[in-house]
Amino acid sequence: MSQQHSTVELVGDETVKQFTMAVLLAALTAALSQVSIPLPGTLPPFSLQPFGMFFAGLLLGPVWGGLALGLFLLVGIAGLPVFSNGNAGLGYVLVGQGTGGFLVGFLVGAIVAGAIVHRGVEPRDLSSVSVPVQVAGLFAAVVVVYAIGVPWLSAVTGLPLPRAAVVMAPYVPLDLLKLGIAVAIVEGGYLARR
Amino acid sequence: MLSYRPGETVGHRLDPRSKLLVQFGLAIAVVAYPTVSGLAGATLVGLFALASARLSPLAVLRSYRTVFLVLAFAPLLAGLALGPPWFRVDPALRSLRLVARVVPVLFVSAAYLTTTPVRETRAAVQRLVPGKAGQLLGVGMALVVRLFPVVLGDVREVRDAIRARGGDRRRPWTRARVLTVQSLARTLDRSDGLAVALRARCFAWNPTLPRLAFGRLDYPVLALGVALTLSPVLTLV
Repeated sequence: MSQQHSTVELVGDETVKQFTMAVLLAALTAALSQVSIPLPGTLPPFSLQPFGMFFAGLLLGPVWGGLALGLFLLVGIAGLPVFSNGNAGLGYVLVGQGTGGFLVGFLVGAIVAGAIVHRGVEPRDLSSVSVPVQVAGLFAAVVVVYAIGVPWLSAVTGLPLPRAAVVMAPYVPLDLLKLGIAVAIVEGGYLARR
Repeated sequence: MLSYRPGETVGHRLDPRSKLLVQFGLAIAVVAYPTVSGLAGATLVGLFALASARLSPLAVLRSYRTVFLVLAFAPLLAGLALGPPWFRVDPALRSLRLVARVVPVLFVSAAYLTTTPVRETRAAVQRLVPGKAGQLLGVGMALVVRLFPVVLGDVREVRDAIRARGGDRRRPWTRARVLTVQSLARTLDRSDGLAVALRARCFAWNPTLPRLAFGRLDYPVLALGVALTLSPVLTLV
């Protein structure tokens, strides 16, 4: 084992705070990927995975929110079964069930949502962000996820683009509902002490 | 599920950086050459990777059966037409050929997963990404690996508590809201605790890195990874 004997350079308190939140939100995104709520009829199950992206963007801004989703992808690539149905590996991120683009989309979506909501690199107090701005940020994130995910699905499976869009269409209203729930959680004051 | 198994195979002896490069390169190559011969070459690389990890292709196919089942629908869906003849063979075959590319990529990925402990991938990431970003990614990965089961336990506990109180009878979005709020609250509490613990332990930018070194076996594998990654350039020549 190699040793380094240079002076210890401590990480600043504010950085530690943002970093630990990014770590825990990465773990939460992974945990929420394993849990879904069944819906009646032939509707797809209500996956809680996008909440990880939403809260990473809302609470941490583009840089630290991006780090949270980046860590989620990296531990999955390293072999931890964090993707839906306990899948893992670089192969799953790149191709998956054709759904790899959605995983990459979550990372870009968190960055976009964070940039819109916080209007800069440093996260600002959420109570000073109006509801329309929060909605715009999260909506842009959803658009980004589909803009990356649908063409990726089409490229991996060979489905024509419109048909790939039709396959994913039932998930759109559910994602918009999740967007509403995320904003309601912020506005309900559940994150007020942050 | 596929996960790391200790062993002494060729795959185990390789550096994670060379193995990651081959996976990445193969994914690029199969996109660049979606032909029958390209597919055959990629499958050969995939089978080689499995052999180097002494992993049976059938075991891998079994592990990824859900993935393959879902993918199998794509050619059927691509072939369906809204009028006579109702099913067209050409688009279905094209889709089948594209879906078949997934198999070698997952083979190589499976070989990586079973031969590489998470701490080696972490060390590779920390070396590949320079500076403070690499440090944060490396330490962050180690912490997420440690905390994922804890947070998953929290989320399941909250879900069970909701069920125990008859929450199953509430509307799905109400359940989603309660589950998310409670899980998030616990996660943020854990984040506060972790921040205090890291500060108490003098969390520094320059900790001692895990050892990682290329061996003789790594050089041909690295060369293969580079060749695969650059293969799309050959199509331009």
